[in-house]
Amino acid sequence: MSDTDALPAEAFAPLVEAPPRKPRGPVVLAARDLTRRYRMGQETIEVLRGASLDLHAGESVAIMGRSGAGKSTLLHLLGLLDRPDSGSLRIDGVESAGLSRAARARLRNASVGFVFQFYHLLPELSALENAMLPRMISHGPLEWFSERREAREHALALLDELGLASRARHRPAKLSGGERQRVAIARALVGRPRLLLCDEPTGNLDERTSAVIADQLFALSARHGHTLVLVTHDAELAGRADRTLLLHEGRLDLPQGQS
Amino acid sequence: MFRLFLASRYMLARPVSYLAMCAIAVAVMALITVISVMNGFLMETRHIVRGTTADIIVLPRQDPAVNVTASREAFEAIVAAHPEVAGVCARLVRPAVVKVHGTTNTSLGDSIFSSLNQVLVLGIDPVAEGPVTDLTHYLEPVGGKDNRDIEVTDRSQPFLLDRREIADGSLRNAGLPHVLVGEPRMRTLNLSRGDALEMVTVPEGSALENQSIRATTQTFVISGTFETGKHDFDMGTVFVPRDDFRAWTGTKQQFSELYVRCKDGADLARVRDELKSAFNRARLAATVETWMDRHSVYLGAVENERNILGFVLALFVLLTCTITFSMLTMMVQEKVRDIGILSAMGAGAGGIGAVFALCGLYVAGLGGVLGLLLGELLSSKINVVKDWIESTFDIQIFNRDVYAFTEIPTSIHHELNVAIVVGTACFSVFICLLPALRAARMDPVEALRHE
Repeated sequence: MSDTDALPAEAFAPLVEAPPRKPRGPVVLAARDLTRRYRMGQETIEVLRGASLDLHAGESVAIMGRSGAGKSTLLHLLGLLDRPDSGSLRIDGVESAGLSRAARARLRNASVGFVFQFYHLLPELSALENAMLPRMISHGPLEWFSERREAREHALALLDELGLASRARHRPAKLSGGERQRVAIARALVGRPRLLLCDEPTGNLDERTSAVIADQLFALSARHGHTLVLVTHDAELAGRADRTLLLHEGRLDLPQGQS
Repeated sequence: MFRLFLASRYMLARPVSYLAMCAIAVAVMALITVISVMNGFLMETRHIVRGTTADIIVLPRQDPAVNVTASREAFEAIVAAHPEVAGVCARLVRPAVVKVHGTTNTSLGDSIFSSLNQVLVLGIDPVAEGPVTDLTHYLEPVGGKDNRDIEVTDRSQPFLLDRREIADGSLRNAGLPHVLVGEPRMRTLNLSRGDALEMVTVPEGSALENQSIRATTQTFVISGTFETGKHDFDMGTVFVPRDDFRAWTGTKQQFSELYVRCKDGADLARVRDELKSAFNRARLAATVETWMDRHSVYLGAVENERNILGFVLALFVLLTCTITFSMLTMMVQEKVRDIGILSAMGAGAGGIGAVFALCGLYVAGLGGVLGLLLGELLSSKINVVKDWIESTFDIQIFNRDVYAFTEIPTSIHHELNVAIVVGTACFSVFICLLPALRAARMDPVEALRHE
């Protein structure tokens, strides 16, 4: 179930969204009225107050907002790392609310790729092994023997596309920030997920490297048909996305000037 | 697949893993070596104890209703009728005091050894003993082990002695009975084959008269020696021909004990019980015991010593396993962000917990296997190691005079050793479950935010 036909009627409730720049594919992710509260001692902070969002196959969406607005929280909810206090979230037509932790992990592994600001590579593994990790997670030891070669070739091909073929055997400690982020992108893409969630992917890089990484990110996601979600403070980066949403007071709005 | 892969990488990347592995290996090696040596001691001790006796011993009880003198054939007939019995022989037993011929010292409280002159005299028929006990096996070359150029002429007739070999010429024509003496006693009394020995005992039927009892003395000529390795037995036992025993003591008893040899593989406890029942049915009063029953206290002490040492060292192994626990607890603390990353990649809680539990299994398993190999190697070469240490450092780590063995005995039980390794690995995994569960239950969002 990956088409909007599979979604219930309420999934088509009007959303505040910018007009698409290109024809939209089927809905990959449908979030409705997501709320998330945190308790800080006696105080309860309501970070999300009914955020709704549809993500279509192959599109790129930038989410902006001030620090502490809840962008990362929203991204964690969209990536099934966290559970909303209320609201509905469907990925590939599967309602996540009733899923067990293990089922959410399987869905995350199959459908979601993460790119973090601080790369989050495992220091004990080489660039290639880091890139292969999601494929390794999805297979048991017996399956892995038959899948290993294809997973390795795919990871190598991605590293090659990102210009890192010669650094495949290097550990993260031997790589520059830009190289590490490219390894992280390869890792996010290796499982062929429908959804690529990037949390400040260029936030820790210099301007020139950021531009290169952004180019590669958009090019790869376009080439492989991923739905790209960027959480960023960088307006220039956000401007390259098909549409931009502003997270403000716990809801997703169009930025000022868009209609 | 990532569980096995990541666990091996985490383990290989940490020097503390190797330390924990080495600690477990050393502990397992020590446990296996000590168990092997103690099993060796127990086996040798059993062998020695077993060698001085028979499979089953039948002791007629003093029962006024039973004429023991007349019933030896009845006892023997019942024993011999048992299908699992291979042979039976009778022995006469009596305590005595020995002294070297020509001396006057019969003191029981000798300054060298408190029971120096007290012995148990066993009256035997060497021909009947042959198929039943291992006596002939323990007969020493005449003059002891250090004088092997003189061999026992006929092991089946250990009491044979050419009278020309009697040291004291005045005794050569006296027609004295012969005696077999234990090697330690021979050394202590500085005796040799052909020397004469006097033994004093209380004759059968002696009664107290005026606060004293009449004793009877007999001079024997030493025709041979024996050494079983069981010091108490070798020091405190002498063998004389049964007929000479009866003539000396004046006993009318035909036997004090029946020694029974069972067929190979026989269940001694069952044979014992069946013989008891048979004696009861025949209205013969007798105590029937296996050789293990008779020496249960001694064997039990050695076994107990082995068990206590094994227990203490097993605790030591378990203690070293807690190093794995500490290592994993620290690792989980260090790897909080990795746990978040793995969650983001789609690893389930079980998979993440398994990574850390597998780290514990790797460390304990590899440490255990290494300990198994080292332990079995050390156990099999322990005497080479002992000799090397003794010659290199000029210290004595095994005093062969204290024990009945010339070398450290070992008995390697592979199944037991494998069970030790498996137990170590299981215990390690068990105690590693706590940090593994902590990793599995970690909130991925909190883990990703961990500084």
